[in-house]
Amino acid sequence: MSFDILQSVLFALLTVGIVGAAAGVVLMKRITGSALLMAFAFLCNAGMFLLLGAETVAAFQVLIYVGAITVLILYGVMFTPQQDRRYGLFFQTQTPWAALLVAPIGIFVAFFAFSFADPGKALPGGGDLVPLATSVFGDFAFPFEVASVLLLAAMIGAIVLVKRDEE
Amino acid sequence: MVPGPFGLDPALWAVLRLVIAILLAVGLVFNGALAQIYLERKMQAIIQDRVGPIHTGPWGLLQTFADAIKLLGKEDIRARLTDRWFFLAAPAIVFAPMLASYVVIPFAPGIMGADLSIGLLYLTTLGSMTVLGIVIAGWASNNKYSLIGGLRSAGQLISYEVPQILSLVTVVLLVGSLSMTKIVESQQGVLVNLLFLPLAFVTYFIAGLAETNRNPFDLPEAESELVAGFLTEYSGMRWGLFFVAEYGEITVVSSILTALWLGGWSGPGVDAHPLVGPVLGVLWFTLKTYFFVLVFMWIRATLPRFRIDQLMSLCWKFLIPVTLTNLLVTASLLLAFPETKVPVAIANWLMLFAFMAAVPYFQRRRLASLRERLETRRAPALAERTS
Repeated sequence: MSFDILQSVLFALLTVGIVGAAAGVVLMKRITGSALLMAFAFLCNAGMFLLLGAETVAAFQVLIYVGAITVLILYGVMFTPQQDRRYGLFFQTQTPWAALLVAPIGIFVAFFAFSFADPGKALPGGGDLVPLATSVFGDFAFPFEVASVLLLAAMIGAIVLVKRDEE
Repeated sequence: MVPGPFGLDPALWAVLRLVIAILLAVGLVFNGALAQIYLERKMQAIIQDRVGPIHTGPWGLLQTFADAIKLLGKEDIRARLTDRWFFLAAPAIVFAPMLASYVVIPFAPGIMGADLSIGLLYLTTLGSMTVLGIVIAGWASNNKYSLIGGLRSAGQLISYEVPQILSLVTVVLLVGSLSMTKIVESQQGVLVNLLFLPLAFVTYFIAGLAETNRNPFDLPEAESELVAGFLTEYSGMRWGLFFVAEYGEITVVSSILTALWLGGWSGPGVDAHPLVGPVLGVLWFTLKTYFFVLVFMWIRATLPRFRIDQLMSLCWKFLIPVTLTNLLVTASLLLAFPETKVPVAIANWLMLFAFMAAVPYFQRRRLASLRERLETRRAPALAERTS
């Protein structure tokens, strides 16, 4: 047993995990189960980053998506009334139309996925913190700042929305 | 790839090493929890003027072992209307990240699971995953007290993560690395980070208390108001697993405090001998860590519990502004004087004293109402008693 085989096996497991969990998120009737499966998909995604040697990105993936966003979604789910109704119903009334629209995109994605002749290699040191930091605060400083302005706007919007009317 | 001893195949040795490491970590966590439960009971007994456990074994030392065996022997009860899989999975989701964080704890030079270059980030990441398990435990129990406990926990842990990470970032700025080994090695001798960043230490300590659900932040499991919060429906070893995870988490937070602010394994005699040195290092590290564990217990026996709104306003209105200011000041001073740590230390001590002095000012209304209550209610009663 060598490590190349181990890597392929891990990759296969993670892929199955991501695809299976993503399908479960959409198909499950219980919304809490969907939220948890989403956390699982995020975890598998972090595993993918680890396989590529990008451990910093993996850590942030878990920290933000599993530790914060999923918990907030669960928080929201718990405050919504849990009744016996089919949560998927809203999306599932137009199944043929949806299939018709998704199929071309699926074909495009499949072509793209099979266009890689040899498997891509992770650049050595690409996952380290220092190159990541220098690229975020150097080459990508402008998009980074734009994203932060967007987040600020969203935050102010949220505060305005939940602010009580003072009479 | 690391070649194994006795001519073992490297791939086989890698698997074997993993098994040994996991067994060691599990043993460490469970024994640590047993020791800490004993310590906690004795500490609280001393503080509350009792004797604590004395009957089982010498000085009651075997009491926690007996309790653990009792827990293991208990029936695994699951109420019928609980959410089966989530209910069973929740203790594991709380326990697993805690166990995984032992990988990067630097016990001594050369004695740690893996010296990750992002060790500190890894620790905070795993710390944030505990919330998920607690929220699920609260929801799956199908009990309103559990649900409230889980929701409180989610709000509390997500809020206190912010000052926690901001305090850690100040240390990372000063040291210039996220690797636990490098952070420890940067503070050799008596010049530990506590001398340079006392304010970050205090804020991290408070946030760490909240992160481990300890008093005065144990609202998620508040016995007097929520029965036992998310623990209500659990019994036997599943309940025990939550407790082991809590004590393990306390050890992790104390280790972070030790490694980042108290110089980790450094102490007299560590560099003296290649064989004795690491052992002494482990000893110093353990002693420092358990010092913080004892302080946690001392606080538990001393302070009353916060109310949920007090908890939130302490975090969002006090800790986050303080840590943000600290981060800003530290970053600008390090940029202005990259050679020396002295300006950072002076600024940090000044800020610590300034904020401590400002607490009575920020709490002036509350203090005034307390004083008024003292005068109107208690003073006449006292006068009556003395006359």
